[in-house]
Amino acid sequence: MGNKQTIFTDEQFEAYQDCTFFTRKEILRLHGRFHELAPHLVPMDYTNEPDIRLPPTLTVTMPELKENPFRQRIVEVFSEDGQGNLSFNDFVDMFSALCEMAPRELKAIYAFKIYDFNGDNFLCKEDLEKTLNRLTKGELTPEEVSLVCSKAIEEADLDGDSKLSFSDFENMISKAPDFLSTFHIRI
Amino acid sequence: MLSLLLENIFFTWLGITSVSGPVYQITFIYGASLVCWMDCINISAARDRELTGDFSVVESTECLMELSELHRQTSATGNSYHGASQSVRLRSKSVASNQNGPTFNWGSSPTQGEVQNESGPFLDLRERPLPMHLKRAIREVQQMRVPVVTSWQSWQRSKAKSLSRFRAEAGGIFSYIILWRKALHKIGGHFGGGVQSYFMFLRFLVVLNFMSFMLIAAFVLIPSIVFKSTSTTNMTIGSTGQEKCKEYNPNPQGLVLFYQYFLDLLSGTGFMEYSYLFYGYYNDTVVDNSGFHYNLPLAYLLTSVFYFAFCLICIIARMGSTLHVAVATSSGAIGTYSKIMFTGWDYDCRGDQATKLKQKSIHYQLQVELEEQRLQTMTASLTLGQTVGLYSLRVFLMFLSFTFIVAAFFGIFEATTFSQGQVGASGILGLIWQYLPSIVITTGNFVVPLLCDQIARFEGYSPSTTIILALFRSVFLRMVSLGVLLFTLWSNITCFKDSQPCQLCQYNQKDYPCWETSVGQEMYKLTMFDFLITIAMLILVEFPRRLFVDHCSCALTRWVGRQEFLVPANVLGLVYGQTVVWTGALFCPLLPVINTLKFFLLFYCKKVTLFSNCCPPVKTFRSTTSTIFFLVVLLFGWGLALVAMIYSLAQIHPSQSCGPFRSLSTMWEIVPSTFYTLSLLTQSFLFYMGSQAFSIPLFVFSCVVLCYVAALAAVYGNSVNLLKAQLKLEGRDKQFLVKQIEELSQKIGVQMRDKADTFDSGAAH
Repeated sequence: MGNKQTIFTDEQFEAYQDCTFFTRKEILRLHGRFHELAPHLVPMDYTNEPDIRLPPTLTVTMPELKENPFRQRIVEVFSEDGQGNLSFNDFVDMFSALCEMAPRELKAIYAFKIYDFNGDNFLCKEDLEKTLNRLTKGELTPEEVSLVCSKAIEEADLDGDSKLSFSDFENMISKAPDFLSTFHIRI
Repeated sequence: MLSLLLENIFFTWLGITSVSGPVYQITFIYGASLVCWMDCINISAARDRELTGDFSVVESTECLMELSELHRQTSATGNSYHGASQSVRLRSKSVASNQNGPTFNWGSSPTQGEVQNESGPFLDLRERPLPMHLKRAIREVQQMRVPVVTSWQSWQRSKAKSLSRFRAEAGGIFSYIILWRKALHKIGGHFGGGVQSYFMFLRFLVVLNFMSFMLIAAFVLIPSIVFKSTSTTNMTIGSTGQEKCKEYNPNPQGLVLFYQYFLDLLSGTGFMEYSYLFYGYYNDTVVDNSGFHYNLPLAYLLTSVFYFAFCLICIIARMGSTLHVAVATSSGAIGTYSKIMFTGWDYDCRGDQATKLKQKSIHYQLQVELEEQRLQTMTASLTLGQTVGLYSLRVFLMFLSFTFIVAAFFGIFEATTFSQGQVGASGILGLIWQYLPSIVITTGNFVVPLLCDQIARFEGYSPSTTIILALFRSVFLRMVSLGVLLFTLWSNITCFKDSQPCQLCQYNQKDYPCWETSVGQEMYKLTMFDFLITIAMLILVEFPRRLFVDHCSCALTRWVGRQEFLVPANVLGLVYGQTVVWTGALFCPLLPVINTLKFFLLFYCKKVTLFSNCCPPVKTFRSTTSTIFFLVVLLFGWGLALVAMIYSLAQIHPSQSCGPFRSLSTMWEIVPSTFYTLSLLTQSFLFYMGSQAFSIPLFVFSCVVLCYVAALAAVYGNSVNLLKAQLKLEGRDKQFLVKQIEELSQKIGVQMRDKADTFDSGAAH
């Protein structure tokens, strides 16, 4: 009566604060954003851990993700079932990994998974071509795309198997100083 | 090493007296060896990180085999995506992971891993690539285990937790205090890293100028105000010299017209001349009351020197942090294609416009790379005759651009000489004559780069080389034009051409009764003019251009297009302004605070024009290397100002009619004379520090350390190359073994089938 509706218990706040890079206020704000996406589906009261998952068609409409060419892949990588259905846990996890306090290793792991379209734990030429096409939205000719991808593999491939494993990718990322600032979504 | 020696030699030559010579030596040996030491530490630290990064890469090649095994197993279950992702996500990390290489604990299951992490901080949980529900499960298990640890450890842990929470909250509050944090974020989001680095550089300069002003106010301005107002028993250093040299009457005579105040404000003459703004107002008071001593001339000199040292330290500190990153990244010489692809897209980019521009920029970057590739193959395939022709054309065009630059310098020289001759003119015309050097410099800085750009089109260099060349030309032009201006002023003051006016007072007393104030006024005028021109360009050029482009849809507007925010040109403007302030700070102590205000207003003006009038640059500037470039250019400016200051301190006779040094033969003289008033013990200690017996062993020691660290860096570089080769070999081994396994399993499969066939046929009988 008269006091604020409790959205999370203190226990839950502690858990979220330990498992993500967010403070209490930010977690409440994230809940607000999650609720906004589907007000009739997402309950305000999360104290009994309801298992509500939002389909990717809703989450990719967020202004932070709307213009991102990899929005579908991001949502798939962070969802539990791999199809892009995000629960609130996954939602918070996603923005925690993409926030500015997340360390480089964590971001590199998730970036690798996002760019790995066929999910074989290697970035092969097809993965790179898909990435490039999404980046440039078809402005380059197919020969140029093929040339750029083979050059990229040539540059980063350390063990000579003409595809990029996670260690190749990680090594290349460590030499790119802008990675931390570009692989970052502010919410 | 060479630079160390050169510095040493140069300043020994400049060293005035037998006392100050070794002092110079010792100061610069310390300074230079400190800088070299810091650089070597940076480089070795970068190699260190590189090395450990590669070790972990080697470690994880062993797990490549395991990974392919696991992949085949899990793909068999049909749950290929989820299974493979689980296999990577479930690997827990060990505690000691450095920035470059995660060391995956491939062999352990989650529970095992977390037992190992028991002693680690609870923060580890956030950095694990696990899904949220798993993290929370692990956390609950961890919490249930808590009673096992001692009460001391649990107290420690809870304190660490609350400390990190407090730090997070404090960080939130702190973000309000940092100047312009939100504005910079917004600019970066809309216009990219290059434009943002310009504004961050501007913010750095604002803070630098403000801190310098605090320094000057504390030691020079406030004591001056106090001493002038109290005017108790103040000693002045005994004044000798001719009476004629002491004539100086800056106060305006008679009735002053109203608009004259405005003109005086702009040019620093009239009522502004004899004020705290300029050198001439400060007296050479030496306060020696019981228990309180304050030597104002000495304070003035040392404050100027420390101001330069302070700025140098700030710049080097800022450079050090970015240099770390640059050395670490350039040592691998990793290619640009992969970098553009994987780190090119800014995930924080929002809005339709920004996204389209980002795509265009990535497209442009890739095209630049492909173009450079094409040019390289083309130049490699040129015949000898064509190559000779190309090089001779380049040399000719270089000469041509050089001629333009020299013409600009000549123009500046003439303008300054003319302007100095027109000191007496009044009214608007007088103002124009006063501002003539500034006008010529600005016009030159605008016109000559345009011409050089047109020339550069025919030179046929690759795009990146063209950009770098253009930048170097602009920097050269700006810095040296300022140098020419200073040289002209100095030659007038010390009578290079004819020494007759300088016979009486060792400086040109007739034209410059108080020459320091004149120089200060010149620098003040340059600063003001720079600011006014920027505002004028904003109002008269950029806003109309935007209105024109938006409302008029003819072919001309499409050709002209919206203003593009050119980062290099703007940065050079900032560096030029800062160099002027450094040069003028000795003669115009309030110039840093004026500059703080100027840059502060400039931030808002540029932000307004950026968001209203400009489109984001398509030709992006890499943010880390660009920060270093800005700081290097700033150091050039600092060097120029330092040369000017040292020359004024050491060579030119101070004005005898004004200022704190009126009774000395050079400004620097106050230091030795005060030095001899110190106690004998201090004197002998300082003598020893400056003598050869101390400095040469120190120098030799620094050289030895430098060689050691350089050798260490070379060894690390070799190890890195060896490890890379080993990595390739291991990869090939793995492929060979995999092929063998496949062949063997095929053979076994065939044999089994044959056996089964014979068995069946046997059973059928």
